Amino acid sequence: MSEVREPGFDRIVALVLRVGAFSCFFVMLAGLIVGWFVSGRIPLGIERAGVLLMLATPVVRVIVACFLFFREKDMKYGWISLGVLVILMLGSVFGIGEH
Amino acid sequence: MVTALLVILGFFAGLLGALTGIGGGVLLTPILALHFDITIRQAIGTSLVAVITTSAASSSVHLQRHTTDIRLGMTLELATAFGAAVTAYLVGYFNRNVLEGLFAGFLLYSAITILTKGGKVKPLEDESAFIVDEAVIPPYEPKRYPLGLAASLVAGALSGLLGIGGGPIKVPVMYIFMNVPLMVATATSNFMIGVTAAASAIVYYRRGDILVEYAAPLAVGVFVGSLLGARLAPRIHTKVVVYLLVGVMFYLAGHLILHLLRGWL
Repeated sequence: MSEVREPGFDRIVALVLRVGAFSCFFVMLAGLIVGWFVSGRIPLGIERAGVLLMLATPVVRVIVACFLFFREKDMKYGWISLGVLVILMLGSVFGIGEH
Repeated sequence: MVTALLVILGFFAGLLGALTGIGGGVLLTPILALHFDITIRQAIGTSLVAVITTSAASSSVHLQRHTTDIRLGMTLELATAFGAAVTAYLVGYFNRNVLEGLFAGFLLYSAITILTKGGKVKPLEDESAFIVDEAVIPPYEPKRYPLGLAASLVAGALSGLLGIGGGPIKVPVMYIFMNVPLMVATATSNFMIGVTAAASAIVYYRRGDILVEYAAPLAVGVFVGSLLGARLAPRIHTKVVVYLLVGVMFYLAGHLILHLLRGWL
């Protein structure tokens, strides 16, 4: 790797992604199964929760990496991660449109 | 039953994506727009959810093999996320025909590129990543950051515009220009796709261009399909699958162009 790093870093970030992907999968699946029996707002709400969880997973991944970099006193990459986070947040502000 | 069809569609897109290394988003967007009666903007937003799902699942595997360069990925994400968010925002002002035309052009370009390479899409070293559990990576130092950031900006912009991952741009740039080993470039590109797609997906979601009732069954199918594909990949002769994919890409491009022409005539 470009710099020496503890393997635990990879493992924590991998865990975030794995937990995110699997929990979204099961939440969405639950929404589909519920939707098979009842129609309307309940299954749609569960599916929406799954989609939002999926959108949040990369954001959480950036937050966790940012925290880990600052804890390792790796300031440069801590700030870079924070910058990525700011861009992601700006997207949710500018996404509001009258389209 | 639309939901069941979407699960099956997602399954095959995920399977093909994992087997060939070409993201399933390229197929999902045009199929959604052409056969499911939603606008191409909604199709892009909806398939972005599936792109994030695939990236999260597959890059967690790469991370556990320690082949991902998180520092490099995070740095280039500054550019990909920015590019993706900006084009995702601009897409709101794009005409539907322009988007369909761009997508058709992109499909044709990708299909022809694959054909001229003789059906080889997955670099050989990448396949070894499936076999070796703990890969040995030679020491390296990423070079030419400005060039890498510029290319990442373009990859991100394309991702926000078309709902794709942009791996075919990022991998060669890191490998050829930035002095990064191929295995690391592949894993790092995969790692970046999640954040890149999220940056644009958030904008699409806020605009109401992610249809939850389509995205959920699609993502469920993609998840299962890509997990199965990753397991089958070392055992399956991918060249046949790649030509199948190229065929589907040509068909979808033709269909999109016909769709456009019908609108004008």
